[in-house]
Amino acid sequence: MMKALALALAAFSSVAFAEPPAHIDLSQLPHQSKMIDEVVVPVPSEIFGVLDKLGKPRWEDVLRPVNDAKASGDQAQIALQLGTVIAEGFIAVEAENVEAVKNIGKKVLTLSEAINVRKAVLKRSKSITDFAGKKEWTAVRRELDGALSDVKAAMIELNSEQMSQLVSLGGWLRGTEALTSVVSSNFSKDGAELLHQPVMLDYFEKQLAGMRPRTKGNPVVTKVQKGLLDIRPLIGLTDGTEISEKTVKEIGAIVHELIQSIGARAR
Amino acid sequence: MKRFATILLALAGLTLAGPRAHSTIDDALSFALEAAEPYVKEGFTVREDYWGGDLGVKQTKAIVHQLFKGNEYWFWMGSDMKDCKISVHIYDSEGNLAEVEAKSLRVNGGIAFGTRIIPKKTGSYYLIVEVEKSPKERTTWSLAYGFR
Repeated sequence: MMKALALALAAFSSVAFAEPPAHIDLSQLPHQSKMIDEVVVPVPSEIFGVLDKLGKPRWEDVLRPVNDAKASGDQAQIALQLGTVIAEGFIAVEAENVEAVKNIGKKVLTLSEAINVRKAVLKRSKSITDFAGKKEWTAVRRELDGALSDVKAAMIELNSEQMSQLVSLGGWLRGTEALTSVVSSNFSKDGAELLHQPVMLDYFEKQLAGMRPRTKGNPVVTKVQKGLLDIRPLIGLTDGTEISEKTVKEIGAIVHELIQSIGARAR
Repeated sequence: MKRFATILLALAGLTLAGPRAHSTIDDALSFALEAAEPYVKEGFTVREDYWGGDLGVKQTKAIVHQLFKGNEYWFWMGSDMKDCKISVHIYDSEGNLAEVEAKSLRVNGGIAFGTRIIPKKTGSYYLIVEVEKSPKERTTWSLAYGFR
């Protein structure tokens, strides 16, 4: 493995850098599992922005109310919930719904408190509310992205890196659900193509596989793990594969069920 | 002061996706973010997450990243090693060079390199970062990105 990596990278370096090679042999690069450890998960607005360019999505129809109930479930479920709520924030920004954004800011704080990272997001939560009040949507998006980063960083400091990965996963799932909803209501090939995210599936599957038995044994986490496997063949195995309207709905149904499980109150 | 504010922002709000060497990666990041500033004025949203690490001379690192057709992206690589030469180039999933522009960018006190891509397809792309030249054995780098 190391030899292959060295050969591939040496081949790259042997070319004068002012002119990068027009083609590289990806099979000579290190195994993808090594590289996906450093994946940066796209924020929902990165995808929603494309949908805005493709048409005029009715974001109000996609937006879901966030309740003000106390956090429910164990740490893993709350981490997933926190991710979904932050993603909801991005949807509320698209819908330019001030009240929804404010509620989401409060909910972020409630959930963060339940997993001991309230302090890390307190300032962000206030900023989200303040900027929403002034309808400064770009700033709200930035603060939501920042809240996600702050929560993850705080969890890593608390040796809860796996929980931070669940926050990212929750956000990705809600973003994906919103994407399928928008694309299903006004289908376009370009919109459907946004679901082709093999890197993200590789990344999350690997993260879940490496989690502690106790976390993996959580029924919601188990369900999410299975759901990702179900999504895998639907998102297009190679770049440029067309994703049909029927497939978009199938993906939507899977992620919808996962989001319902994540949000369900623990008994 | 502006640099101080940028560094503070980086320290307060950003999460490293890769291995850390705190002080210098944060320094490298401040140059990447400084290089990004003019593009923010053009409507690019800079992500809070970023990559970072250190490399030897002529060493490269490949990072796989998801890009979406319909967006335009800039990747900004920075280092506090003023006399080094760094670069980032982007390849599609078939190994073809996919960027539309790549150039050194002017920053004060460090160096930066920027690469722009308008993806033709949604999917996996490979960011190849390299330290081409450096007076030191290892050079710390950081890579941020923005989209619009």
